[in-house]
Parts: sequence; structure tokens; C-alpha cells
Amino acid sequence: MDLDDALTELVEQSGDRLLRVGYQLTHDASAAQDLVQEALMRVYVSARRRGRQPDDLYAYLRRAVVNEYVRTRRLRRSTEVVTNALPERASTGDPAGVVVDRAALWAVLGTLSRRQRAVLVLRYYEDLTHGEIAALLDCREATVRSLAKRGLDQLRVSAAERVAEEPR
Amino acid sequence: MTDFEDEVRRVMVEHDDEAPREVDLLRGLERRRPDRRRWYAVAVAAAVALVVSVVWAVGPGEEDQQVVTAPPSPLSCPETYVGEAPWVPSKPAGDADRLVPQEAPDSALVCAYAGTNTAKVQSGWALSGQWSLTGGLDALAEELTWQPRKLPDQEILCTLVGGRQTNYLIGLTYDGQTIWVTATDEPNGCVGTSNGDFESSSTVGRDVTAAFKSRVWPEPRSLSCDSGSGRLGQETEMVPAGSTRLLICDWDPHEIRTGYASLVDALNELPTKQSTRGCSSSPAESAQTYKLVFGYPVGPPVALYIAEGCFPEVDNLSLQSERADSIRPIIDQLLAAN
Repeated sequence: MDLDDALTELVEQSGDRLLRVGYQLTHDASAAQDLVQEALMRVYVSARRRGRQPDDLYAYLRRAVVNEYVRTRRLRRSTEVVTNALPERASTGDPAGVVVDRAALWAVLGTLSRRQRAVLVLRYYEDLTHGEIAALLDCREATVRSLAKRGLDQLRVSAAERVAEEPR
Repeated sequence: MTDFEDEVRRVMVEHDDEAPREVDLLRGLERRRPDRRRWYAVAVAAAVALVVSVVWAVGPGEEDQQVVTAPPSPLSCPETYVGEAPWVPSKPAGDADRLVPQEAPDSALVCAYAGTNTAKVQSGWALSGQWSLTGGLDALAEELTWQPRKLPDQEILCTLVGGRQTNYLIGLTYDGQTIWVTATDEPNGCVGTSNGDFESSSTVGRDVTAAFKSRVWPEPRSLSCDSGSGRLGQETEMVPAGSTRLLICDWDPHEIRTGYASLVDALNELPTKQSTRGCSSSPAESAQTYKLVFGYPVGPPVALYIAEGCFPEVDNLSLQSERADSIRPIIDQLLAAN
């Protein structure tokens, strides 16, 4: 299998899902694509050197994406920054409180530290346990629990503040 | 799972359809070659220009509540940004040892020239908006005067994400003297800041965009693990003198205010070379990384990255050193003592 075929297969198997994880981490489409591209290339080269693919390819790629996100900011500082602007508010339709709360939550998620965000995305978007997250991130489970708690606390407070500041 | 945690989960899922698609990924990967030397540190070709949060010219009245504390600038913006960024209409008189003087200017005019970094012609862009800043001139001076100097022939590895680019000219007046500074806001953060003589590889484009939008230069950010785009002096030693606070950013940030002189000394004793802002490793999935953020009473912090197993292992964005062996034990001692 040549490079194009191998990369195409990797992308077809896991591309959309990885891009969604990347987007949850970065809140930026360009940055998500950049992140996943980089991780795919790293994994592909690693697999080629070792002569075999990892058993659970998606988990392996996801780990690469998350680690890439956490560790390599120096290469793409600019594409990782997310906007502080709140999404546009819905004017009618759903109960206003729920809509605004979710918009605020999403905005505040984008302001968390990248470690907190990685933990929350893995916990609530990827449904991993604290133990699985700790293994993926190579840190202690207590650290994961602490990051998750602090992240949730910050979400609660900051989202409430944003809602209170928004003109009704 | 609490109701709040459920809500977090729902919010994440609601944004699924904003993620890029597989086809975009394939297009980008077609332009990659894994056998390049230092393959993961070279440019990432993203073929599709996607939405990047660049603020374009803002219409009058959007920030009318700002209190005017700075006078309008007597300068006027050039109608076109003549050269490729970084370009300024005129160089400052004499040799510049800093990007701007260490004092607040009398006035500041911000001129915006909007385009895209994928345009065939990267020069001659037309003026798209201009404002005199009404405040924050002290903060402007503090940020710009501490920008690090780009080292001669320093080559910095950049991503190649396509997107909107705004070149700015900032016209500063000082008791009759004028200094033009150019800065660029673009997706890769790779276009430096310059006054035509003193060039910095550090980018302040995003702050200029914020200033352009609000007409006030943003206040310095508090020290955090996300801090650190560069500080004057980091091009000659890893940690310039005068640091008063240290953040060790591992999985948890640890703040240290005293007793880290031995770490500074050890870092400044490392053999150094010009930084490319990239490093090479076997693609181990999780090399241990630290970010050290050194804060100062005035001016921006210095961020220093240590990535064990990714060589060069130490990088302050201007200088790199090959190995961090002598540094890790000191960091461990500091963490244990704090």
C-alpha cells in the first residue's frame, strides 16, 4: 500500500470522528484540521517504521490528536486561539434561558486551559472514564479528577457571569 | 452524571456539525510528505481557507462608550500597504535598539489593510479601515517596547494554513517624531513585527486587531500557562534577568515566587543556537513536556518549552538547547518544595 492509499484509509476510517474531537478541543475548524493532519502523519510514520498498525487504531489516533494538542503549541500558536465572542443568540423558538446558557457554556469551554479542555472533551464527548483519561494523558487519575472538577467549576461560574452580563 | 455534566455533553454534541470534514483533511494530506527531514515540524498545508477569527474593519459607533483619553493622531494612513508584510512607509531615525521607545506615545493611529494570505499578490493592499486609539497607550508601549529582536537569518518553521490576513500599520507620535510599526494578524502567526529597522519574530497582530476593534490597546494579561509570545533579551539568554515569578506548567500549574535562581542559572548556562521553533523526536505519543513561564514586574513574560525526547529539548522561541538533562532535576526539586 503506498502512502496515499494508507493515509486515505486512515482518514476514511477515523477522519470525521477525529476532526470532531479536534474541533471540540480547539473550537476552530482550521486548527482542528491542522491538529488531525499532524497527528495522522505522526501515527502513519510511526506505523511505517514499526511495520505494523496499532491494534485499536482509533484510540491510538485519538491519543495522538490529544497529545498533539497538549504538547505542540509552539508550532501553531496562532491557529489554536479561539474566539472569545459569544455565538449569536437565538431570538425566538427554544426557551431563551436554555439557549443562552448553552451558548455561554460553549463560549466558556473555549476559554478553559487546554489541559482542562482535553479532560472535559475526553470525559463528556468521548465518554472515557477518569482512569482511561489518565492512561491516555500519562498522568495520575487524581490529576484528571482535579482538572475535571476545576474545569466544571469554572464553566459554572463563568457561564453564569456571561449570561448575567448579556443584555436581555 | 449530574444535570450540569449532561448539559456540557449536549453542548459539545450540538457543535459537531461545525467541525471540518474528511474531504478537507484528505485535500490537506495530499500535500504532505512524510519523508521530509523533520517532517512534523515543517509546514502543514491546509488547502482550504477556513474561517479564522480575524476582525475586519469595524464600523463607526460600535464602541462609542469608550472614554477618550488619548488625542487623535495627526498622522494619516497610507492608502496602500505597498510592500509585502512586514513593511513600513518609513524607518525610524537612527539605530533602533527596541521596536518602540520605553514611553507611551502621544498618539497612535491604527491602519488596517485586509486581504488573504492565499492571494497571489501580497503587496499593494488597499486601506480598509483606520482609527486613532483612544486609550491604552501605556499598555501599547509596555507590550511593543519589550518585543524580542529577531536573530539574524533566524528561520522559523511555520504552518501554512490559508485564511484572512490583515496587515496593520501603527503610526506612533512622540513629541513630533513619528515611528511606524507594522504587525500582521493571520492564521499562522508567522509574520513578524517591525519598525523597518528593528524586526521581531514575535507577533502582536491579534492584540492590534483587538485594539482596532475597541480603539483601546488591551491591558497586559495576567501571568498564566498560556502566556508568553516573547520578551526582549530572550534572544541572548534563555531567561533574561529580572524575573520575579515562575509558573511551572505541567498538568497543574505551580507558581513559584522565590528560590528559583538555580533554575535560571542552569538554563542560562545551556549551550544555545537559534530557535526554529520546532523539534524532532521519534513519534512517541506522550513525551514529558513542561512549559516554564517567567514573569517580570514590567513587560511580557518569557515562555520556555521543555519537551523531553524532542530535540532540541529546550526552546524559548528565540534560542534552543539540545538537552534538558540538567534542568529536569531542578524542576523536580522546585515542584517538591512547593
